[in-house]
Order: sequence, then structure tokens, then C-alpha cells
Amino acid sequence: MKRKWSFFSVFNYTFLALIGFSMIYPFIYILAYSLNDGKDSMMGAIYFLPRKFTLENYAQVFDNARIWKAYQITLMRTVLGTFLHVVLCTLMAYALSKKTLPGRSFFTFYIFLPTIFSAGFIPFFITLQKLHLINSFWVYVLPMLFNFMHIVIIRTFLQGIPEELEESARIDGYGDFQIFVRIILPLSGPVLATISLFIGVAHWNDWFSGAYYVSNKDLIPVQTLLQEMLTEAEALSNSMQRAAQQGGQTVGGTSGAGATPESLRMALLVITVFPILCIYPFLQRYFVKGVMIGSVKG
Amino acid sequence: MNKSRWTSNRVFKRIWQHKLFYLFMLPGIVWFFLFSYVPLYGVQVAFRDYTFIGGFTGSPWAGFKYFEQFFNYYQSGDIIRNTVIISLMKLLIGFPMPIILALLLNEVRKMKFKKTIQTLSYLPYFVSWIVVVTLMQRLLTPYGGPVNDLLGSFGAESIQFLNNPTWFYQMIVGSDIWKNIGWNSIIFMAAIAGIDQQLYEAAKMDGAGRFKQMWHVTLPGIRNVAIILFILAVGNLMSAGYEQLLLLNGPATASMGSVLDVHAINSGIREGRLSYAAAVGLFQSIIGLILVLTVNRIARKVSDVSLF
Repeated sequence: MKRKWSFFSVFNYTFLALIGFSMIYPFIYILAYSLNDGKDSMMGAIYFLPRKFTLENYAQVFDNARIWKAYQITLMRTVLGTFLHVVLCTLMAYALSKKTLPGRSFFTFYIFLPTIFSAGFIPFFITLQKLHLINSFWVYVLPMLFNFMHIVIIRTFLQGIPEELEESARIDGYGDFQIFVRIILPLSGPVLATISLFIGVAHWNDWFSGAYYVSNKDLIPVQTLLQEMLTEAEALSNSMQRAAQQGGQTVGGTSGAGATPESLRMALLVITVFPILCIYPFLQRYFVKGVMIGSVKG
Repeated sequence: MNKSRWTSNRVFKRIWQHKLFYLFMLPGIVWFFLFSYVPLYGVQVAFRDYTFIGGFTGSPWAGFKYFEQFFNYYQSGDIIRNTVIISLMKLLIGFPMPIILALLLNEVRKMKFKKTIQTLSYLPYFVSWIVVVTLMQRLLTPYGGPVNDLLGSFGAESIQFLNNPTWFYQMIVGSDIWKNIGWNSIIFMAAIAGIDQQLYEAAKMDGAGRFKQMWHVTLPGIRNVAIILFILAVGNLMSAGYEQLLLLNGPATASMGSVLDVHAINSGIREGRLSYAAAVGLFQSIIGLILVLTVNRIARKVSDVSLF
């Protein structure tokens, strides 16, 4: 039997479809813009598909030494930072999941306390100075090595692994370390994937460290580069666009093809967002569970 | 006495048995000490004339000098007001949005559709504020941006959305909702999924329609989760979201958009007034703590649900 479509259902489906559209459309738009000839884009009226298709913008972005360098920094900090974070948080979480561990509640409280009262930004900044992390690559990695919430999420997951597994492994003569490596780790795939996504995205998206802790131009990650372009690009593109719309002429007086700062910026944006876009839908099942554990315990 | 030696031996033995686990925790213990407790100890620079050589403990005491400096600053009232206004708007308008989204999604029977909308709604959470603001610049520009083109096709004048005091709050609150609504709805979806289906059956027996079921079964079912999250959100009332405001606030909107976090970051790092900035930050943290404790207390009295 088919249910009748009530007024509410029609409204609800339409409304939700619009929300979904508003989430994805900006990305479709920049993709179209980045694949369109830069000077042609200044005429506006590009909505879903490129009008004058070109890969020129991407070619120029990949050719730019500064962007390459920034992309390398972002990749390095993301891979290294994610790996170290996941390994170290898992070790800590595994220890804290042992109910027999003397001092377990003390250590849990020790890592929980700083989440209640934060020292604020400045004492943290001074600490980074004193540790000689300012203007160093490690300022991206070390301050993000641990996270209370992530430890709690991993610990909760590990506590769900049946203890009989460990006991039978012990009977087979496994030591603590072997149990961890051979029994626990292989079973922890889902939670490790979730935490990798959380911390990987945090690393990938962090522009603040690059903007405030680092002045060496060779150490700037992509997001900070995008931030620097933000203010420059707005003024530049608006004035160029105005010129293009009013006189049909572009800066420099030519009407030929070519990339503009704005079209390059959109290409860079696409390259920055693309990896995340490809990864997160596949981890959805896991991170939804992770969020639930995090908020129940937190 | 014999007995106590015997127990202390036993404790030591238990600790020794767990030596590997202490080794596992060692990096974490060191890290939390360096990156959480050292800065916490360093909060005292707010009461000192900080010098780089003197450090946290060697710089001369200054008492409440920097707090006075902040409160005597002619803009401090505006800064506090801006912070509260922006976060209150985010709280009052932004907080119910994920709940509404979760309720609407819950009414969807076509699973594929539901799943697709959910997946799409998480997307903005995973991109940075830089990306969001770049997207806004591009989509909202009056010079050939799609949003203004759409408005134009309805015959409306094109609008300068960014760096415009008239649209400032809408942009701040709107982009915040867009970025976080999907992610924040996860927890409510989970709470809804946990509601006993028999309650719905019983409500149906009593003749409750869709809205009555939503009102009498679903909403009470997610009440506790909502209260807890609300308490946490109130604790953040003194921070208006520094990343977003650092990026979206321009000269034209400065009188509406300068907030405590950004003020602390700018005066501390850009101008090098570290003690002053630390005082601003400490003021912010203390008010935040007081707010959480107060709301927590009220919640416990009114509804029996509380954080601690």
C-alpha cells in the first residue's frame, strides 16, 4: 500500500533537499570556476559548468613553487602529526582502559582537568616560545599530539573488547606487549580510522599556527597561504571584475585567455578541499559512533 | 607494622606488574605537563610585568594593573558587548537548528534520501574557516557572484554582503550554522534513535498524529542531551569564535565585530603586550567558568539533568 504524500512530507523533502543542495553547491561552483578560463570567468554567469573549459588554472597552480612548498608542508605535518597522534593517544588510552592499573583514576583526572579551565591563549603562546617551537616545523606537530576527547573515545572502544580474548592469549604465553600488538590493535581499526580522520582534518585545516607561530615563508602551510590570499584577492578581483563588466576589458587591456589571481585561488581551493571530500563519506559510519561516545562520556 | 609493609610490597608489586602500561602513558604524562599544566601555571603573567628573560616566575609582580588597563580601555565595554551579542545570537538561533534538522530527518522514510542529506550536511564541518570565508567571498560578491545573480533574476538590487554592517550579524550567524548544523545534529539523531519504539506505538494508539508524537515522544526523548549541550554552549558565551571573526571582520564592521578572543590575540601577538592579553584571556576564562557553574546549577534544580 502506498502512503499518500501529505503536505508536510512534500514540504519536508523539499526543504531537506534544499539544505543538502546548499551544502554541496558552493563546491560545485568553485569546481566549475576553477575549470573555466580565468578571464572569461570575470564576466560572471558561471553556475554549474565551466563555459570555456581549461586546465590552465591547475597547471599554473602546480607550477607555482610557493604553493608546492606549502602543499608539502601541509602533507608532511598531516601525515606525521596524524600518525604520532594516533599512536600516542592509543598507547595512553590502552593503559587507561586497564581496570587493574594502580592510579588509573588519578591519571584520568590528570588529563581531564585542563579541559575544565583553560589557561587562555597567551600563556600557551609563551610556553611555545620557551620550548623554542616558534618558527619551527614542530609547532605544527607537537602541540597537537594529544587530545583528551580522542583518548576517551579510544579508551571506550578498547573497553568494549571482550577480556576473554586477552586471557586466552595470556594462556598461549603472550606478554602484555604482544597482546597489545597482536590482539588489541588488529581489532581497533574502526576507532583508529575515526581518530585519524578527526586529527588529520584538524592538521589539514589548521591555518592559525602558520599565521601566528611562524613567520618563515618556507614553513607556511596551504591554509595559511589561502588566508594571505583572502584579503589581497578580494580587493584585486573586485576591481578587475568591475573593469571587466563595465568595459569588457580586462586589466592589461587584452581580451585573450588566461588565468587570473581569482581563478588560481579557486583552483587552489579545490585542491585543498578535494582530499577531505574523498575521504570523509567512507568513514561516516565510524565517526558518527565516535561523536556519540565522545558526547556521552564528555 | 608488619602488615603495612606487606601491603606496600603488594602495591609495589602491582605497580611493577603494570610497568609496560606506565611506559605507554609516559609520553602523555609529559605532554599534558608541558602543554597544559605549564601554561596553566603561566596564567600568573596576567599579574606580572612579563619580560621574556624573566619568564613566568621571574617577571616583577604588577597586581591588577593589566585588568585595570583593560577595563579603562575606552573600547573594552564595546568588546565585551560584541562578544556577548555575537555568541548569544549564535546560541539562540544556532543551537535549535541541529535539533530541527534532526527532527525533520527523522520524519524521512526514504533511507537513501536521508543518508544522502546527512552525508552532505557533514561536509562543511570538514573544511576550514579559511575555505568557508573564501567560498563566501566568491559566492556573495556583487560582481558576478551566483547569489547576487539569483537575486537579480528576481529583480532585486545586488547586495554587498561582506564587510557591510547591515549584513554582518546575518553573515556571522548564517555561516556558523551552515558549517556546524550537520555535525551537531549527529548527537541528536543518535538520541532519537535511542528512543523506545513502543512509546511511539503507544502514542499512536492514543490517536497522536505526527506532530503530537514529535512533541510528546521525540522532544522529551532528546531533552537530556539538549540540556547538557546547552550548558556546554553557555560556557563558551565569552568566546565568540575567534577563527571566524579574525577572518570575517573587516574595517567596515570593526565596531560590531571586535571580540575578546581576537582582542587578546591581536594585542598579545601582534602588539607584543603579553601580560595585558593574558589578563583579557583570564577574564574571559573566569567568566566562562562562572557561567557553566551557574547554568549547571539552574539545570540541576529545574530539570534534574546536569553536567556535574
